[in-house]
Amino acid sequence: MNPMESDIDIWDDDITVDPYPTYAALRELGGVVHLPKNNLYAVTRYDLIRDVLADPASFSSTSLGFNPMVNEALQGTSLASDPPMHTQLRATLSANLTPRALRGLKVTIDEKADKLVAELVSTGSFEAIDSLARAFPLDIVADLIGFGGHVKENMLRWGQAAMQVIGPLNHRTQESFPIAGELYGWCSSVTAEDLAPGSIGRGIFDAEARGDIPEGSAGHIIHQYLGAGVDTTIASIGNIVALFGRHPEQLELVRNNPELVPAAFAEVLRYWTPLHIWGRTTTREVELDGVTVPAGAQLGILLGAGNRDHRHYDNPDTFDVTRNPVDHLSFGYGPHGCAGQGLARLEGHAIVEALARRVKSLSLGDGYRVPSNITRSFEQLQVLEVEAA
Amino acid sequence: MRIELDRPRCEGHGLCEEAAPALMHLDDDGELVIDVPEVDGDQAVAAAKAAVRVCPVAALRLVTV
Repeated sequence: MNPMESDIDIWDDDITVDPYPTYAALRELGGVVHLPKNNLYAVTRYDLIRDVLADPASFSSTSLGFNPMVNEALQGTSLASDPPMHTQLRATLSANLTPRALRGLKVTIDEKADKLVAELVSTGSFEAIDSLARAFPLDIVADLIGFGGHVKENMLRWGQAAMQVIGPLNHRTQESFPIAGELYGWCSSVTAEDLAPGSIGRGIFDAEARGDIPEGSAGHIIHQYLGAGVDTTIASIGNIVALFGRHPEQLELVRNNPELVPAAFAEVLRYWTPLHIWGRTTTREVELDGVTVPAGAQLGILLGAGNRDHRHYDNPDTFDVTRNPVDHLSFGYGPHGCAGQGLARLEGHAIVEALARRVKSLSLGDGYRVPSNITRSFEQLQVLEVEAA
Repeated sequence: MRIELDRPRCEGHGLCEEAAPALMHLDDDGELVIDVPEVDGDQAVAAAKAAVRVCPVAALRLVTV
């Protein structure tokens, strides 16, 4: 059977800002829906998304982006490779990012989050995206890699561009390529001496100098840390503030039950998925959910649609910090599951915990999002009034 | 049934331990130790399935022996 078809454009401005009604419509149309306007097959249902992500032999990552230039640029990275090559690249990439490697950072990250949140709360009102959602992960990642100065000032736009260019060749991608190129250029030219002694970034160069990782790979690894770890974390921290503001009873639950911190962060990630869409390509003709998808087809995996699938989660459109959806799809799944998820959890848990400790209630302005190809996040979100705990 | 671990793939995220603390744990170095590799009985099998399910990198499998 051929897949159902829809004439929507998944990168339409309005859809990228508010994709959930479209996700629901596509999901009910089928587990796989052909989108001729985007020349891709959208994968919409939870179980199907897990199956696709777990099977790199049938669903290759060589076409994870939605334009040939970005896929070409990502060749040779763990992100865009398949086993067996992927296995070695992934091990090198994740060596410094596993929870055991990051254990020493937890105390520092918790303290930084608490200090920043305490300062913001003491001001009585603040803009949450620049002063918290962006400031916090940029500070953490700058310390981690060991850079400062002009690099730190550029990292927000570099990180946003690195995600944007994964999209189709629309104006957003075209405008972002030169900026993503600046990040790539910096990562290609940075040397050990540019990075602070004792930082993980410096350690990656030391590993290269010792011959533990292939020559020339240190810059690529740092590029992936920065390309993947900035924009996504910013999105999720902005979402934490917005969801606690809109659902005061959920903040109250976490305040009264601090053991809910990890569950609350998982639910934020499930409810508003930071990555809108991610690509794969079929290596052979496949049967998915009873329909036939040809070999060489571009898939668009709608992680946020899977995270709201009622076939898997009860009342999926309800934000519920007691749900503890540990199997959500926001970090992907399987061999390519987010390599930075250990760090993302440290940062997210630190912010949720600090807010729960310091904030009794938040009242929010409307906040707004801007259309974006891959990452879905708030551009601005004013906390009009914060009541300290 | 037997719990099998793909050791090189395991990154020590620890979600399995939370799902099945009676069957596995992360040691002091953050390495996963399967304490009870052979599981039988409804409760243990359900816990093992939950652990397999939540592993974010699909490093665990439950196989019939």
